[in-house]
Amino acid sequence: MPTVAKVWIEEDCITCDACEDILPEVFEVTDESSLIKSEVREDGLFDRNTGFSAIKAEFRSEFSDLIEEAADACPVEIIKYEFESASSEESAEEVAPVAEEVVATPVAATTESVTDNGVLANILSGDRSIAIFFGSQTGNAAELAEKTAKLAVAYGLNPTVLDMDGYDPANFNIHKRVLIITSTWGEGEMPDNAEELWNATCGSNPALAGVHFSVCAIGDTSYDEFCKAGLDWDEKFAALGATRVHEIKLCDVDYEPEWKNWVNLALPNISCVDSDGVFHSELVEAMIAYGAGDEEDSAADGDFTPPNIIQDEISVTLRIFRYDPIRAESGWDTVACALPGHATIEDALVAVQQDLDGSLTFRRGGVSGINPLTGVKANGRIVPADTVRISEFIEDGGTLRIEPVPGYDVVKDLMVSYDRYNDARAMSNPWMDADPRQGERLVSGAPMGSMSSSEATSLHTMADVGSLQLVNSMSDTYDVDSDYEGPGIALQRWVRSQDSRSGQNHTRSMFELLQRKGGVWDEADISSIHRHGIDGSQAADSIFAARARLLAEYKFTGKPGRLVKNYSRSLKSSGNVNETTLYRSVLGPLGLGSNIMNGVSLRMVLGFTRNGGPMMRGFQGMLVPPAGIGKIPNMFNSKVVNHHEVVAIFNELDRRF
Amino acid sequence: MVKYSYFPGNVARQASQEVEDTMQPLCKSLGIELIEMVGYNGDGGDIVKQGNKDLQLALNARNFAIAQKNGHSIITPCASAQGIMHESLSNFKTDPISLAKANRVLEKITGNSLDVEELETSHLLHVIVDEIGLDKLEKAVVNPIDLDVACYYGPHMQRPGACGGDDPWNPSYMEKVITALGGRPIEFNTKTSSVGNPSVLSLGDSVMKMTARVLNDAKVAGAQILVSACTLSHSNLDSYQGKAGRIAGKDTAIPVVNFTEIVAFALGHHVDRYAQLRTRVLVIGS
Repeated sequence: MPTVAKVWIEEDCITCDACEDILPEVFEVTDESSLIKSEVREDGLFDRNTGFSAIKAEFRSEFSDLIEEAADACPVEIIKYEFESASSEESAEEVAPVAEEVVATPVAATTESVTDNGVLANILSGDRSIAIFFGSQTGNAAELAEKTAKLAVAYGLNPTVLDMDGYDPANFNIHKRVLIITSTWGEGEMPDNAEELWNATCGSNPALAGVHFSVCAIGDTSYDEFCKAGLDWDEKFAALGATRVHEIKLCDVDYEPEWKNWVNLALPNISCVDSDGVFHSELVEAMIAYGAGDEEDSAADGDFTPPNIIQDEISVTLRIFRYDPIRAESGWDTVACALPGHATIEDALVAVQQDLDGSLTFRRGGVSGINPLTGVKANGRIVPADTVRISEFIEDGGTLRIEPVPGYDVVKDLMVSYDRYNDARAMSNPWMDADPRQGERLVSGAPMGSMSSSEATSLHTMADVGSLQLVNSMSDTYDVDSDYEGPGIALQRWVRSQDSRSGQNHTRSMFELLQRKGGVWDEADISSIHRHGIDGSQAADSIFAARARLLAEYKFTGKPGRLVKNYSRSLKSSGNVNETTLYRSVLGPLGLGSNIMNGVSLRMVLGFTRNGGPMMRGFQGMLVPPAGIGKIPNMFNSKVVNHHEVVAIFNELDRRF
Repeated sequence: MVKYSYFPGNVARQASQEVEDTMQPLCKSLGIELIEMVGYNGDGGDIVKQGNKDLQLALNARNFAIAQKNGHSIITPCASAQGIMHESLSNFKTDPISLAKANRVLEKITGNSLDVEELETSHLLHVIVDEIGLDKLEKAVVNPIDLDVACYYGPHMQRPGACGGDDPWNPSYMEKVITALGGRPIEFNTKTSSVGNPSVLSLGDSVMKMTARVLNDAKVAGAQILVSACTLSHSNLDSYQGKAGRIAGKDTAIPVVNFTEIVAFALGHHVDRYAQLRTRVLVIGS
């Protein structure tokens, strides 16, 4: 059982006395801060122990649990401690502790679980610590450092993220592996948190012979001194004897893709520094595969395996739709390129925009997450471009066809206007309109509806789709019928109508909107929506449910109602559908007349493009007007064997037919 | 010889007799034995489902029980039928409550119950590619299809799990079959788009525009004929072809045949019909 070897107090103590109450032998709270008592320290000083002096050996086992308890109890979490090294007390004292939290290492990536990794077995054992320093003015570099740390565990590393602020340059050389991520401030200056460390490093020039490093610099090409802070660190480390394992990456304002490129190579390179501080360049390829999760049996059964974040580069051909609104011209650009397999469609479009054609227009997602308005049609699928990987669509050598989502006006290239959706949504009165319910009132005193938690869950599940705009595009009908308001709008209305808090009048108005022109009956084929993943199937299920309810509500009126009623009755009457009677009953005399005028019946009768089927079959259909219009071979269906079973199923489940 | 319970779909033995006429001999040529599903009923066409989902599921459950009694999984020549059956079967396999409800009705009415574990459904296309093999198909060709062919799949069976080993979004099985039959497959954009068949009797212009879009795309891409894996969609693509073209203002004149027909013709069946088709291609085609 390891014991606490060092304890210290960070800044911003609120002097609440909690720690002293728990362990007065170690902590003493003054007017300014809690301090570590001299009696228990090796150095005999009485301060916050920012020099990281060790606790005297005789006190460690006695106070260890209570120090942990005091740290847990600290409301501002400024009590930090370090356990005794598993290998030896001596080595623990040589290594200065760090104030930042160590990123949790998944079990699969710990050195214990990777003892059988072929050529990497040796390198993955022993000390796997890595220090990731950030110099940050606005937080971007700090965020990248955190992300880098998370990725580092996939390479069996134990990362520590370090703020440059307050760091002692004399401690640089205790690290075998160092990554530096820094922005540049003003005219080539260090960010505020790095200024002091930079000056101290330049002043002391510590020897860094055993250190391996790589730098990622963030900057802005519109400034003369682009990425100067990063370049300075890179040169300084090299000049002090450190070994550069991967070239510095200079990132412009859109830094994330560049950082990804850097981190995908910097990490496997620096991971090949063994516990003795020797860099093994010959193992880098194997390490890349290991980090990508290609190594077999890298995790024991039941262990957590990190997601496969990094994928090999693939060669792809992009076919990108272009539309120029000024000239009203459209066409396709074809671009052959190589991209990381984990790149999103948006990454690919950004690369094309930056490297080939700055006029390419598309919606971009935010840094923080999914933006449903980034939707594109990629090889037939309606997807948000900012979160879907290219490798989900094609393999190496494949072609990816990227078009605007259908159903909306194209503004330029891949960017569409969602006005059509917004207008329909505004027409839906999408806000809650509840009837007063006894005993349920808002704080303001206004009446409110109520619902059970199970109802709420059901409604949320029904409405849980990524983008209603994109759901509209999933319908093959939406693109050809400008009056149709789309399955996304229908889904919204259906959910609102099923909300038990909705007032009766509101529910009624939702049904009317669903039933009228533009509503659910304008969808020509629900299966075209259903196949589009979870969002599509949610919308399709809602349309089926809405139609069933509307048929009951409006008593099978109109053509769609007659179709469902007569189709079902036809099926019940013989076991199979008889199209002859169905045509007659659904279309009526006018509809049949229209088919005659339009030549549909003639094509049916003559079998114009059909093969086989003696023409007499067509004429048979004309013998008993008006039922027999069309190339319908069977005037009357013979009943299927055990037809009574079919009738009984209908009678058991729905006696309306 | 592989054996399947044969579900003809909703029209092969009704309005589209040509499907039945060609399905039987082509299967014989390829060593697929079709076991009759005695007393099968319609699958509901996703139209019964609009009124009552449980009713459509129960009707499909009855068919599944017949296939189960036969001891063989189901084959169908219709993409819509495959889509509907696959969805129903998946429903039963993943939702025990739904299966229990259907079984309650089945047991009460037929005395049988359904065990869906072993049952599968397949379209003829996927059986030919995944099970029979393109090599065997190629060897069986008697009259090569020397035509430029656009392959239409429709949307119903183009979803994961319902289309064998084919890509749901960018399918290529039919193109491979056409190549094996001696034809030249033509790529076009809307091969999995809907032509709105479920609403052909209830909706007007939009269905015609959807139909015209597919036909025109195929024609513009240079196809001489269009082959449909969906026997229901075939009705739109063929009988409504002229009306669709007029309403959409597009050129839609192109011969359309069912998938079973083109395979049967290549395997040497109904040579008179094949001759008829080639004549039509000369007269109507591009």
